[in-house]
Amino acid sequence: MKRRGFVKGLLVTPAVPLIAHQNQTPAAAPAPVTPPRPVSQAIPNKLAMVEVDAAAQTTQHYFKPDQFAALEKLGEVMVPPLDGKPGATQAGAPVFLDFLISESPANRQKLYTHGLDGLNLAARKHFSKSFGELDAAQAGTILKPLLVARFWAQDMPEDPMQHFVAQVHEDLQTATTNSREWAQASSSTGRRGFNRAAGLYWNPIDPVVKG
Amino acid sequence: MPIKEYDVLIVGSGHSGGMAANILTGKGISCLMLNAGPQADMVKDRAFKSAHELPYRGFDKPGRLPHVFQANEFNANQWVDEKEFPYTHPSDAVYNWVRVRLLGGRSLFWARQSFRLSDYEFKAADIDGTGENWPISLADLAPYYSRVEQIFRVTGRKEGWPQFPDGDFVDSTFEPDSPSLTKLTEYATKRGLPVSKWRHAQGKDGLASSMNLLLPDSLETGKLDIVQNAIVREVSLDKNTGLANGVHFIDRHSRREMHVKAKVVVLAAGTLESTRLLLNSKLANSSGVMGHYLVDQMYGVQVVASIPEVREKKTPPGYMGGSAFVPRFRNLKKDEKNSFIKGYCIGFSTGGNASPNYFPLYGEELQAKLNSYAGSCISGTIFGERVAKFENHVRINKEVVDDYGIPVLHIEARDGDNEKHLRKDAADTIEEIFHDAGWEIICKTDQVNPPGYSIHEVGTCRMGDDPKKSVLNKWCQSHDIKNLFVVDGASFVTAGWQNPTMTILSLSMRASEYLADQMKQGTLA
Repeated sequence: MKRRGFVKGLLVTPAVPLIAHQNQTPAAAPAPVTPPRPVSQAIPNKLAMVEVDAAAQTTQHYFKPDQFAALEKLGEVMVPPLDGKPGATQAGAPVFLDFLISESPANRQKLYTHGLDGLNLAARKHFSKSFGELDAAQAGTILKPLLVARFWAQDMPEDPMQHFVAQVHEDLQTATTNSREWAQASSSTGRRGFNRAAGLYWNPIDPVVKG
Repeated sequence: MPIKEYDVLIVGSGHSGGMAANILTGKGISCLMLNAGPQADMVKDRAFKSAHELPYRGFDKPGRLPHVFQANEFNANQWVDEKEFPYTHPSDAVYNWVRVRLLGGRSLFWARQSFRLSDYEFKAADIDGTGENWPISLADLAPYYSRVEQIFRVTGRKEGWPQFPDGDFVDSTFEPDSPSLTKLTEYATKRGLPVSKWRHAQGKDGLASSMNLLLPDSLETGKLDIVQNAIVREVSLDKNTGLANGVHFIDRHSRREMHVKAKVVVLAAGTLESTRLLLNSKLANSSGVMGHYLVDQMYGVQVVASIPEVREKKTPPGYMGGSAFVPRFRNLKKDEKNSFIKGYCIGFSTGGNASPNYFPLYGEELQAKLNSYAGSCISGTIFGERVAKFENHVRINKEVVDDYGIPVLHIEARDGDNEKHLRKDAADTIEEIFHDAGWEIICKTDQVNPPGYSIHEVGTCRMGDDPKKSVLNKWCQSHDIKNLFVVDGASFVTAGWQNPTMTILSLSMRASEYLADQMKQGTLA
C-alpha cells in the first residue's frame, strides 16, 4: 500500500514546478511558442490496428528447400489466379501451409513430407529435375495420374501419394479462399459479403486461468 | 452461513433440464440448476470475422478437436475442449462425442428439425421381431408433443401418415414447389416414396433454445436458482433411506469441492454425461444394463445429380430451389422383405453446386467444370436408424481422469451388417430416382460418419416396465431410487430415424409433471 501511495503521489505531482526549479538561468530572448499538441482527455476504447499479414511476412521454416519449392509449384499449378481472384501463390498459401503443417500432428507432417519427397523423386526420374523446377505441363504428367474423384469428403485414397495430392489440393484451396488477398479481391469485385470464408466467431468463453 | 433448501436439483440446462425447470417452477417447486460451464454473452463473446483474421486462417489449431467434425476455427470455442474433458474409445471404433457445456447446452446450436416418434419406434420390437418395446406409446406422449410444438413453434405439413405423426403445427403453409422439386416428387412417388416437407422449430428471434424459451419463464417465478461452472462429480445418497439427497460438485474456477442437498435429483446433463455421472456414483444399476444400448443415427450417405437442362441454360430462372423430405418408408409392413430391419428418411435439396472433390481435376479445368455445374445440382442424404445393441456401450475408464480428476467414459459402438445393408439400400434408392428423372449422377456414396456424429446419442439408461431389463420406468424415474430421475435422451429404448429433440422435451415435460404430482402426494420422500 505504501508503494502504491508513493506512485500515486508521483502521478499527481504537476511537472511544471520541477522544471522551474531546475531551469535557473533566465533566457536571453523569448523563443517562439509552439502551441502544445492537444491531449485527449478520454481514454480511447480501442486503437486502430493492422493485421499482422498486412505488415509482415511469415518466415518459412519447416519444409526443406526442395520440399517447399515443390509445395510452391503445387500451389502455382493446382490453384492458379482465376476470374480476378488470387491464386495460391498470390495468397501466400504455401508459406501458410509451411506454418500449419509445422504445428500439425505427426501423421499429417509425415503425409506432407513424404508426399513432397515423392513428387521430387518422380520429377527427377522423369525429367532429371526437382518438382519445383518443372513447368506446368511436366508437373501435370506427374500429378494427373494421382488425382482421384472423392465422393465422401473424409474418404481419402489409400495410396499415400494419391492421399497427399488430394489433401494438399484441398488445403491449398482453403488457404487461398480464406486469405486476406482473396477477401480483398472479392470486395473489389463488388461481392462483399459473398465470401464464404467469414462468419460469426466465438471468443473463448469464461476461460479457466491455468498457472 | 444459511443455505437455501431446494426441493429439486436439476443437473444440466439444455432442452431437457430447461423443460424440467419450466414445469417444476411453474408448479411452485423450488429448483436449483447446476450447469457445468459458463453462460455465454451473446454480444461480447461473438464477433463477425473473416477467416484471414483468425490465427489459423479458418483451419483451427491442428489437433484441437479431433472428434468434432462440425468444429471449425469460428465455432471451436463453443464445443467442450477434448483435452480438458477427454474420453476414450477403441482404436478401431472411433466415436464422435460432441459436447457443449455453455448454459443452454446443445439447445443453443441444434438444427431445429422437429419430429415425433411413431409407434413404429415405440413398439419397434413388435415390428422388427427383436429388441424391446418402449413402455409407452405415441398416444401416451402425443399430448406433451402438442404442447412442446406450440412452445417451440414448429411448422410442418400435415400428411396423416402413421410413420410420420402430424404435430400441432403453428404454420402449415409452404411456397409452391419449384419445377425441379415437382419433377423429383413425381419420380419419388412413382417408386412408392412418400414425399413431404421438413418440420422445423421456428423458436423466437431465430433461437429455439432452453435459454430463450424455457429458462426465462422459470426464473420469472422466483423459484429457480442457477449456478454456473458447477461440475458435478457424483450423486450422494442418504445412508439411512437409500434415497438421493444431493450431489457433490467442483467449482470450475476455484476447484473447490462443494455439496448441495435436495429432496429430488433430476439428471439432464445430456445422455452420456448423465450416464457417466451415475456410473461414477455407482448407483441405480441393479439391472446391469446402465451404459448399454447406446444408439444414434447414421449421417453421410449422399447421392448428388446434376440436371443437364439447367447446365445448358434451357430452363427458366426459378426452375431450381427448395427442399423435400421423405420420412421412413422401409419395413412398415411385417411381411416386407429387406436385408435389414428399421429404416431411414431422405432429405432432398435442389439448386446446389458440385463439390470440387467430385472431379479429378485442378486449376482452370476444375474451375470451368464447377462453373458449368453451378446451381444445377440436386442432392439426397439420409438419417438412418442404427440398431440398439447391448454390446454398444459406455463404461468408466478408471485409468483416465479429466482435468477435475473425474474418471472419464470409455465409449464402444460399432455398426454391424444391418447398418451396412440399410445405407446401401438408401444410396441405391436415391440413385434410382435420379436416374429415372434422367439426371446425371455425379456423386454416390454409402459411407457414413462414425457413431456419435449425428449428436443424437440416446439410450444407456433405457426405460422399461421390467426393472431387470431397464434402468428407468416409464416416467424416467429410477427403478432403484425413487427420487432420482433422468430426463434427457438416456431413457430412449430405440433411436428412430427422427431428430430426438421433440421427444426429449416431451419426455422431460411428462416426467416433470409426474414428479411434481408425486411430490405433492408425498411419495418421493
